[in-house]
Amino acid sequence: MGFLKDLGFDPVLLGAQVLNFLIIYYLLKRFLYKPVMDMIKSREDKIAEGLKQAEESRTTLEKTLEEEKKILQKAEIQAQKIIEDAKEQALDASRQIDENAKQEADRIILAAREKIEQESRDTEARLTQKISLIASDMVAKSLEGLISEKEQKQILEKTLHNIKNVN
Amino acid sequence: MVSFAAEPIIRLGFFSITNSLLDALLVDAILVGLILMLRKRLSLMPGKFQVIIETVIQEFYNITYSVAGENAPKIFPYFMSFFIFILFANWSGLIPGVSAVGLKEHGQIVPFFRAATSDFNVTLGLSILSVLITHFLSLNKLGFKEYITRYFSLNPLNLYIGLLELIGEFTKIISLSFRLFGNIFAGEVVIGTISAMFALLLPLPFLLLEVIVGLVQALVFAMLTMAFMAVLMTPHAEEVKEEVIES
Repeated sequence: MGFLKDLGFDPVLLGAQVLNFLIIYYLLKRFLYKPVMDMIKSREDKIAEGLKQAEESRTTLEKTLEEEKKILQKAEIQAQKIIEDAKEQALDASRQIDENAKQEADRIILAAREKIEQESRDTEARLTQKISLIASDMVAKSLEGLISEKEQKQILEKTLHNIKNVN
Repeated sequence: MVSFAAEPIIRLGFFSITNSLLDALLVDAILVGLILMLRKRLSLMPGKFQVIIETVIQEFYNITYSVAGENAPKIFPYFMSFFIFILFANWSGLIPGVSAVGLKEHGQIVPFFRAATSDFNVTLGLSILSVLITHFLSLNKLGFKEYITRYFSLNPLNLYIGLLELIGEFTKIISLSFRLFGNIFAGEVVIGTISAMFALLLPLPFLLLEVIVGLVQALVFAMLTMAFMAVLMTPHAEEVKEEVIES
């Protein structure tokens, strides 16, 4: 073992160096590797979480867009239906208005006709009365002095009665 | 002239504080400083310094995982610590002026600091520790029965192989310690000699070479330790199965 002595072998110094290394090993492990590895792990976790959230957001966005599309399609169908219903209602209303107008016109025409007939009858009655009066005046003037007043009255009444019967 | 043995700077009875021990303490101080600096700036939004440290640690962990698989979390702290300590110890001897400032004894300057890994006590201590930790991890992972069957068996052929494995464990200590010590000590001698011949600019290429040697030697020591740990933590039967599949 002489060569070991030549190389400066010293068990105490060797022990001191080993102890020194063990201390620095502990310090490195406790205060360097662990915190750094923990930091890397925590960063990886955060990145993974961020990616997961981004993926979730993308999925939600896709779902929302899909839903929006569906809602728009539904709204379009509903709008189409409402327009068709409105058109139908408008046609119905138009038909109803036409019918009402027609009925009103018929009613007005009928009323006018009745009024005209009534007025015609009234005019006829007034005319008959006037003719009767003229006729009685003419009869009275032509028979004046020929017959008595009582006969005149009887003839006049009979004539008027005949005229009325003629009518 | 650089001596094989580390020179004592302070004597405390039977214990001498050598320049290599002082250098190891300097390395400790630098590492503790770096740890404190990092802990102060550690945040989820990393700065440049944190990014560098995180990248290095992450890459080394990935290397460990690619070799050791599920055993990586247990092996990684040892692998990384051996690498960092040896790297800083190797490079500490290259700091300009570090080996030029010291005590004058018998007409020669005894520097206060000398690369810790150019002291055989350090490399031998680290090698013994590496092998002991490897066996401790193996025993812990495999259990005593599985662990011992690697070396002792009733089958004569397996017993012979086990004996070779046992000798191999001692050669690990020798190869790890002498490789590191030889490379770094030789580097110190080369730089010392070149600097003594012509101190201006001439040592620069050798210093650059030693930077690379220091990095490579730290990597070799740490990688071998990691590989030994990964191998010994794998059950023997699985190892044989893998070899059969490979062949």
